[in-house]
Amino acid sequence: MKESAIKKIGIGASTPRKEDYRLLTGQGQFSDDFYLEGQVYAIMVRSPHPHAKIVSINTLLAKNLPGVLAVLIGQDMMDDGLKNIPHTPFGLGTADISIENKDGTPIRISPHYSIALERVRYVGEVVAVVVANSVEIAKDGAELVEVEYDILQSVTNTREAAEPNAPLLWDQFDSNVCLDAVLGDSIKAAQIFDHAEYVVKFDTVVQRVTAVPMEPRSTLAKYDPNTSKYIVYTCSSGAVRVKNDLAIVLGVPPDYVRVVIGDVGGHFGARGMLDAECVIVTWAARKTGRPVKWTSDRSEGFLSDYQGRDLTVSVELAIDNVGNFLAMRGKNISNLGAYTVSFQPLQKGVEIMTSLYQIPIVDFHVQAVISNTPPTRPYRSAGRPEVMYVMERLIDLAAFDYGFDRVDLRRRNLIPPEKLPFKNPFGMIYDNGRYQEAMDLALRLSDWDNFEKRRQEAVTRGKCLGIGVSNYIDTGTGAPRERAEIKVQADGNVDVIIGTVSTGQGHETSFAQLLTEWLNVPIDNVRILTGDTAFVKVGGGTHSGRGMRMASIVIWNCVQEIIDKGRKITSLIINCNLEDVIFEDGRFIYKETEQSISLFELAAAFELRKDWPNDLKEGLFSISDITNNTPAFSYGSHVCEVEIDPDLGTLIISGYTAVDDVGLAINPMIVDGQTHGGIVQGVGQALMEQCFYDSVTGQLLSGSLMDYAIPRADSFPFFSTAISEVASTSHPIGVRPGGEGGTTPALGVVINAITHALSGYGVRHVEMPATPERIVKAIYRK
Amino acid sequence: MYKFDFFKPDDLHEAERIVATNAEYKFLAGGMSLVPSLKMRLSKVAGLVDLGDIDSLKGIRLEDNNLIIGAMTSHETVASSELVKTAIPALSWLAGGIGDPMVRNRGTIGGSIANADPAADYPAGVLGLKASVITNKREIDADDFFVGLYQTALYSEEIITAIRFPIPECAGYVKLRNPASRFAVIAIMVAKTFDGVRVALTGAGSHVYRISEAEAILTKNFSPTALNSFYISSEELNSDIHASAEYRAHCFKSIASRAILISLSETGNQKLS
Repeated sequence: MKESAIKKIGIGASTPRKEDYRLLTGQGQFSDDFYLEGQVYAIMVRSPHPHAKIVSINTLLAKNLPGVLAVLIGQDMMDDGLKNIPHTPFGLGTADISIENKDGTPIRISPHYSIALERVRYVGEVVAVVVANSVEIAKDGAELVEVEYDILQSVTNTREAAEPNAPLLWDQFDSNVCLDAVLGDSIKAAQIFDHAEYVVKFDTVVQRVTAVPMEPRSTLAKYDPNTSKYIVYTCSSGAVRVKNDLAIVLGVPPDYVRVVIGDVGGHFGARGMLDAECVIVTWAARKTGRPVKWTSDRSEGFLSDYQGRDLTVSVELAIDNVGNFLAMRGKNISNLGAYTVSFQPLQKGVEIMTSLYQIPIVDFHVQAVISNTPPTRPYRSAGRPEVMYVMERLIDLAAFDYGFDRVDLRRRNLIPPEKLPFKNPFGMIYDNGRYQEAMDLALRLSDWDNFEKRRQEAVTRGKCLGIGVSNYIDTGTGAPRERAEIKVQADGNVDVIIGTVSTGQGHETSFAQLLTEWLNVPIDNVRILTGDTAFVKVGGGTHSGRGMRMASIVIWNCVQEIIDKGRKITSLIINCNLEDVIFEDGRFIYKETEQSISLFELAAAFELRKDWPNDLKEGLFSISDITNNTPAFSYGSHVCEVEIDPDLGTLIISGYTAVDDVGLAINPMIVDGQTHGGIVQGVGQALMEQCFYDSVTGQLLSGSLMDYAIPRADSFPFFSTAISEVASTSHPIGVRPGGEGGTTPALGVVINAITHALSGYGVRHVEMPATPERIVKAIYRK
Repeated sequence: MYKFDFFKPDDLHEAERIVATNAEYKFLAGGMSLVPSLKMRLSKVAGLVDLGDIDSLKGIRLEDNNLIIGAMTSHETVASSELVKTAIPALSWLAGGIGDPMVRNRGTIGGSIANADPAADYPAGVLGLKASVITNKREIDADDFFVGLYQTALYSEEIITAIRFPIPECAGYVKLRNPASRFAVIAIMVAKTFDGVRVALTGAGSHVYRISEAEAILTKNFSPTALNSFYISSEELNSDIHASAEYRAHCFKSIASRAILISLSETGNQKLS
């Protein structure tokens, strides 16, 4: 391939995705596509009650059904010595900020059973598993399992669960509140609020949603009694964590578990950690001596996938007479669900509650409560869309309540470039960026200045047009360790082994583009190998905006070492000084004679000899294993325009503009794709999505796609996106997270546009999801 | 899905014969409601008699001043039929707004009205246009057909063979869609038929029904503003997680007025969305 052609597909090129042909022609290998000779099928028996004591479980009828191989319950699992699912409620890395109970007591951490023991705590919790020769027999068996329940009072609502007299989920805790902490300076905040010219108040609930990945969860596991080893085919964003956690649960050394992940059809946080069914199936494979498969159907997914959001907020902002933000205080309550799986949405939200605005003083009370609902965990930008929504609504409410201009308020309070790096009042240090430029660009691209003309035209059609803007900042940290292993093969390929697994982001293309750029090799000769712990020893997953950020660092490190080694090998072959060999355009060049050898020629030449010094014995090979806790902050600005039919409350999104700074866009097309998907996911929350639990019965009322609304392609206009590239100073490559920026500001910008459209009716706020009914009620009842 | 017997006759009489052999046998039309319900084990049948191969149940034809649509005609066929677009554009529009392309290519008019889902589109079309349901035994007037939640006047062995739609003077159909299922949160067919003005409402009650007070007003003054001071009571309307009874009642006037406006426009539903 000619040099110019290679340059065009390196960093910054919208190279078509290498994986798309495979994925679009049905040749992907998703978790349910794995098949093992002799496999049998598991079906879960799930609790129909949100909270109940298990009085008895009679499995006899089910066990006697021909074709049923095993019926197992939680006690069987305990008898076998299996451990609970391990939690890292504050994440895998060093916590960004420290959160401790205000009374000094330890944070309450519940056990997390794979199969309920003695008590069920949410509708859909597994109480038994039936393994049979076919799915249908297993379902027949599941219907024959008789469970007697003693129904207990339940609670699903966040505020109610936090009340002292709420039904308690865990006998060992005296309250459902597991974490109760204060942050900031309450005394200073009180002084400011007492004397502030203006105080804006906002109470809201960022409702619970679920990821609805296109590929439902599935696990196929096999146990080999001769070696006592397991092989587990499943879906996750990284194989290593699943392996390590499964080994802990099974009580075996990590090397006894091999995890294989193929293509993954969506993650969004919902499959970021070990799930109960994966444990159950792996254990059942050992119990039955047969490979066991379980594949979730959509209804089970709604009941039992890890869910997201569910944050209840009361907040106030103090503003001086000209519009400077002075202080912010409030209370955030995170609904954890029945198990304390993750405090991260709470923590990673509140730590950037002030967003990219200068607010010197904060006073925040944070609580995490358990309730009779499935566990929540990070969901596309853990905690950040929630707090960006709150901040951006506060600004528009300040404008509404006190007559400020909403753009001026933002401009006045945005952190200017000269104040960066900037330590926010929670202690987070923002790296660098040009926040105001991003907003100005978004306003310009959206034709903000001509909005009034468009609004008047809409009025002639009986419609209310509204426009809103939202800025955001997004912390990228997540699992801090990543490892790449790169080998230039004599056959003309570069093999890259890396921990992070693509769950739709196109790593086979974008990671390969780095090597195309830095080693000048054709993209088709770069093989990204991942998802199998047989060769992936260490590595995190694709989450927290860490995929490209971490990959670019470890791949860069490996490339530097491979070039160094290549120069050394070349100098030994030519018998010249190392300093006289340079690497340029994919070739090692001896400067004296301009003699040169390509990377792959060198890899082949290397194989012809064996007498290499020890540091070169492995050839053009390198490992980089890093731990990086320093966040790179993505930021940006979105503008949304909506057109509302005031009679029915229906709306269309008539315009959407996104400016996102990703530091360095490796593949702008893929970044745009991430932004598009992110916007849709955020708009879904703003307009229609909700895990709807009946407050009286605790039952899930949105248990299928007939009732859980997700946006469709026909709900959107073409997006206008622009990528800003201010390289992050937090690491050498400069990449900032690119996968979450679409979602993070979308909640706030949509609601800001809606309330703007309805401002003529005196509407101050519309809660999410902003359904047509809520819009009509806002118009008619205020 | 529980096990069941399966038959796919290509002749109507054969279908009648098979279904008579077992009281637990049921007819299968497009399967867009029954099959998911079977898959989720919410329904159980001893056997299914698939009507999909019976050609005499398919097709659209004009007979006198009636549009006759075979029971096994897909929504997509109805939506794209030039005959339907010309004769009753509102019906074409209605069919084109059902579900999604997969549903429209599998689902059938006969299946939809036999199922009588309280939020389905076709029942509003059948009742609002004063159609009649032709079966292997008789012809049932639309006013007698829909009797309750998923309940029709059909006997268990009766097969819908076709629907007869008298071509109205004008008609308009407007639906407020459920964002998840795209069934009707509330939808209205307004028509001027040989039988007078009819207003049929679906999605709001246990089954499709007519609003006689609105019909009386429109009989005197068939205009988009005629219902300006007319309200329906929210009592007995459906309330669910998507919409309250009050919201459905609130929407009635706007939706009915839009349906009237569309019915009066030269191109009917084909032009306005």
